[in-house]
Formats: sequence, structure tokens, C-alpha cells
Amino acid sequence: MKKSIGDNMIPKDWGFERGLDLVKKAGFDGIELWLGDVPWFQMTTTDAEVRELRRKVESAGLVVSNVSTGLHWASPLSARDPRVRAQAIRIVERQIETARLLGSDAILVVAGLVTNEIPYNEVYQRCVDALRPLGETAARAGVKIGCENCNSEQRFLLSPREFWQFLNDVNSPAVGIHLDVGNIHDTGFAEQWIEIHGPRITRIHLKDALKHRGRCGDQSVYTNLFLGDNNWPAIRAALTKVGYDGWLIAEMEARYRYAPDQQFYDTAQAMDRLISGRL
Amino acid sequence: MTRRQFLATTAAVVSSGHRLRGRWPRVLLDLQGGCLRESLAGYARVCQPRLVRADTSSIPHCAVLLVPAALEISPVAARAIVRCLHAGATVVLESAAGFLDERAFRTERAVLRDYFGITVESPVRLWPRQTPYVDFLWPYAAKLRDFSRVVPLGPQAGEQIGWVDGLPVALQRRSGRGTLIFLGSPVGPALWAGDADATRWLSAVLATVS
Repeated sequence: MKKSIGDNMIPKDWGFERGLDLVKKAGFDGIELWLGDVPWFQMTTTDAEVRELRRKVESAGLVVSNVSTGLHWASPLSARDPRVRAQAIRIVERQIETARLLGSDAILVVAGLVTNEIPYNEVYQRCVDALRPLGETAARAGVKIGCENCNSEQRFLLSPREFWQFLNDVNSPAVGIHLDVGNIHDTGFAEQWIEIHGPRITRIHLKDALKHRGRCGDQSVYTNLFLGDNNWPAIRAALTKVGYDGWLIAEMEARYRYAPDQQFYDTAQAMDRLISGRL
Repeated sequence: MTRRQFLATTAAVVSSGHRLRGRWPRVLLDLQGGCLRESLAGYARVCQPRLVRADTSSIPHCAVLLVPAALEISPVAARAIVRCLHAGATVVLESAAGFLDERAFRTERAVLRDYFGITVESPVRLWPRQTPYVDFLWPYAAKLRDFSRVVPLGPQAGEQIGWVDGLPVALQRRSGRGTLIFLGSPVGPALWAGDADATRWLSAVLATVS
């Protein structure tokens, strides 16, 4: 397995190249690029500029593990407004295009958002309808779409069996799951998601979660690896069981307030422990 | 459906007195890019297999004409719909004009006024709100999911059959020899998503005709 970390973790005032140096020095093999979340990689970034990003990544001795985005939180595929939906589709298409330019074969998509306003059945149907043709586009480009499980934030596809059924309904070999083992917290167990989805896992996000630690004990809190309640020995064993040998991508929600670069070193070392099974 | 709803629906069916219409088809008008496609799919899903799809150039004689979530009704389409009304059809005209930008909305509002005599006010975004329903009073009292944006009705002739947040958003009235049912809050997307209440309500509406 190889280690990666998001470029959105790079301290805001560092810039891309200095951030790449840090990622490399900390021991990562690759970097996850977040479309729309960092100044150097926006929807308006041209193909030539994207190629230049790739050159910088490779010059630093890294590769691009995948292309993610947070843009679908504001422009979801499940929107009722057809113009917003068209924009959401365009974002996925641009992710696919840039993944190819960057030499990666995977993207992350937050598929849909269930809200008070837009009910579950609509979101489900709209996402299936959107992902079928996008799956064809991705397949032609040699890219896999990983729909992320953002269980609590999306309020959508809350169980591994339901996520499995969703992928069956999309019915595209180019559409799988980008599994975030930290997002499951109160709704199940990450190792069970790994077992159930096995070969459909396109990439894995790593973070930990402290269950029921909110001020009133009613919320889970994201934290760094091994500080939370994820069962890491079970997660590691499940990865071995299903034969997952792909990218592990650190996605730390809580940032170090001081010495932010230290988080990169600590996280890389924790990932080494996980990969080696010394738990 | 409650006993009261069943009786109301049955009474509506009996009072409609259009027995001959059962021989004529229900037609689903496809406005192509001029409508929300998922609404079109919703009506198709619920009304199959007794449904004929048509475009504006080929609307057959029909008992019911369904016009899903219209965004842009061209003059040609409007004239074709009006011909159906004059021939005695019941037309369910659903408007998605709440999703249009201001300029496109002004054009659509003029079409609704000039061809159908429907006066609509500026679109209203319903959310945030506490309850997600539109209250229909006909053919039975029903709460159906809203679709985020509505075009409220201005003062005009006809029976107001649907309300949301105190605004009238649906009406029915005689038009020519037919009946016009105008929905300023789309129901089709709920049909498409498999909403049981919306399906039941539409079935009751269609039962008043067939």
C-alpha cells in the first residue's frame, strides 16, 4: 500500500511547491489534489496549468494519487435545480479530465446530500441517474469514480449493504466506493465496510473518530490516527483479507494549531505503522 | 387512502360524467428541453401503460393531456395545448417556472396569461421552512412534498385546489369544452422518486376524468 495526503492540508501560506517538499520529506508517496479547494487547482485552471501541476508533483518525487473535490457540497448531483445539477456533472467531468492529465486513475465524488428540503428517495434516484452516464465517461477515460461515504454529513447511504445496492443500481464497473474509515463512526464499523466492498474500493481515506465525545456526548469528533475509537487492528486485517493494496490517503480534519508541518510527519509515521501491521 | 378520501374521490369520479373519455388516450406531452425531464419520467412511470407520448406536432385526440414541469412553452406548444382544451380534454399543466431566471420567467408568465388565462406571481423559494408539504384540497385533502420553488397564483377565476404557506399554487377551471388543472408546484419529480402519496393523488385526479 502507498501513502498519500491531501494538498488541502498544506498550510495556507505555504504555497504548492513548498507543500510538496514537505509531503515528500514526511515520507508520503503521493498527493491527493483537491479541485476547487486550493488556490492552485480550480475549475478555471487550464489544461496547461494542470500539466504544470503534474510536473511539479513529479519533480518533488511524488505522484498524484487521485483527484478529489469539496465542490459537490455546494453543487450536489442531487440538486433539484437542473442548472446546479449541470454544474455538478461538469465538476465530475473536469475531475475525470484532470485525473487523466495528472496521470491518476481515480477521483472522489460526494454523490448526494439528503436534507430537510430534498428527501432521500429523490437524492437516491437523481444520483443513480447522474452516475450512470458519468460512469461511461469515466470508463472511456480509464478513470474510476469513487463515491465517498460521508455518512453523517450526507445523511445518505448509511449502511454498507445499502451502499452496495446503490452501486448495483448504478451498475458501472467504473463507479465504486472511496471509503473513508473515519466517516463511519456511529453508524457501524469500518472493517465491515472493507469486507463488504472489497474490490469495489477505489481509494481509502484515513482518519480516526472519537465516538460520543461532543460537549453533550452526542457527537463524534474527528481526530488523528490511533487517537480515536476506530479498531485499527481489525481495519488492517480486513484490508489484508480483501487484498487491498492501493492508496491510503490521510484526511485529517483536526489540524495542528502550532507547527502544522509536524502533523505530516506524525501522520506518515502512523500510516507506516498501520501498513506494517505493528498495532 | 382514508374512507373520507375514498368517498371524495368516488364522488368526483361520478360527478365528472365523462364516460366517453375512457376510450380516448392519456397523452404525455414531451416539451423536450422545455421541461424538467425527471417530471416527465415521473408521469410516464405512474401512468403507464395507458399512456401515449407525443410532442407538440402530434398530439392525438385525448381525454387527458399531461404537461410535466414546463419551463418553456413555445407558442406552437401553447396553441396545441389550447386545441386539446377546446376539444374537451382535461389538461394537467404543471409549471416549473420557479426555476427560471427573471427574463425567462417573464416570457413564460406571458405565455401562461395569453394562452391559458393563468395569472402567476413571481416565483417563491420555499426553503427554509418547517414542513415540506403542499396542501391539496381536491380531489381529496392531501399533503404532497413541495419541490422547493413555486409560482403562486394571482387573483383569477377558478377553484383553488392547492396551497403552500398561505399562497394558492394550484387551480382547476373549465376552459373551452375541457378542464384546465394548473400546478404551480411540480408533482412529477415526486412521482419519479416513487412517492406513494403523490402517486395516489395523481391517480385520483385521473380517476375524475376516465
